Amino acid sequence: MSNRLFQLMLRAYPREFRLEYGSDMTQLFRDCHRDIQSNGLICAIAFWRRMIWDVIRTAPLERWEALERRYKTMKNLKSDLIGLLACIAILIVMFLLLGYVRKYQVARMWGYSLDAIISAGIISNLIIFPLTIATRLSAFRTVFWTLLLVNGALLLIATLIGIRVGGFNFPAVLASYLVSFVFWLSFHWLRSQMRPQLS
Amino acid sequence: MAKEKPNPEKLLPLTSSVFHILLALSDGDLHGYGIMQEVAEHTGGQIKLGPGTLYGAIKRLLGNGLIVETDQRPDPEMDDERRRYYRLTDFGQQVLKAEVQRISKLVSVAQRKRLLPKRS
Repeated sequence: MSNRLFQLMLRAYPREFRLEYGSDMTQLFRDCHRDIQSNGLICAIAFWRRMIWDVIRTAPLERWEALERRYKTMKNLKSDLIGLLACIAILIVMFLLLGYVRKYQVARMWGYSLDAIISAGIISNLIIFPLTIATRLSAFRTVFWTLLLVNGALLLIATLIGIRVGGFNFPAVLASYLVSFVFWLSFHWLRSQMRPQLS
Repeated sequence: MAKEKPNPEKLLPLTSSVFHILLALSDGDLHGYGIMQEVAEHTGGQIKLGPGTLYGAIKRLLGNGLIVETDQRPDPEMDDERRRYYRLTDFGQQVLKAEVQRISKLVSVAQRKRLLPKRS
């Protein structure tokens, strides 16, 4: 009966707190209850008064902290959304620029870099955004390694295809993927500065 | 990336329950009930931590790195494996010492004002 009543009182705490400490709290309650069981009615009343007062004092605090954490997550989601929109905007601008570069035959190096920024940007950001939002891994470290791997893999593919086709300008392609890596790393670094708790 | 060393002074003054929990853990690893008993003992039964107060404080102490959960059992034969034991970290020790020094300074002030008899 006492245990059931205490389980009911535990409902006043937020779910995450109950999952983490609920069984320990119940165990502690059982230990304390066992200690006073043979001490008579007055002791039992004092004990229950202490338990009820404890819940009244601490449960609102835990609820408040849980609310604050949820609000922080909402704020992070908002900044993620802004980052994603900025990323899409960059890709659209790059596509338009690429069209311009191809149409007017501007310096080839620009074309290579824009190609690299667009292809590496689409693939890396498709990995980075879901990964950092879903897992809350160290955001900047995830960005660094994803960009390094994606740009490296694309450079390797471009090199392999280029060697087969012929007329391949390796230095220009290498430089373009370096530009792409630095560009997207800077973008995500700026984004992480707006969300310091996750960087 | 090296983490910035936290300053113990920044966490002062400690709340009464946190101070008593850290003081209880300064002698060795304890589980929740052990902490509660130790606190009741060294306060002469004046402070009896309830489950919410104790585990709320433990949650914050773990979050601030003042204590850690430990797998080691002081006496495995006598112990219930389901219980979680907690240990004071080096940082927790520093914070506790800083708090004791702060209280000690207050006691000195009280002694100068003759609110407390001076210790011989």
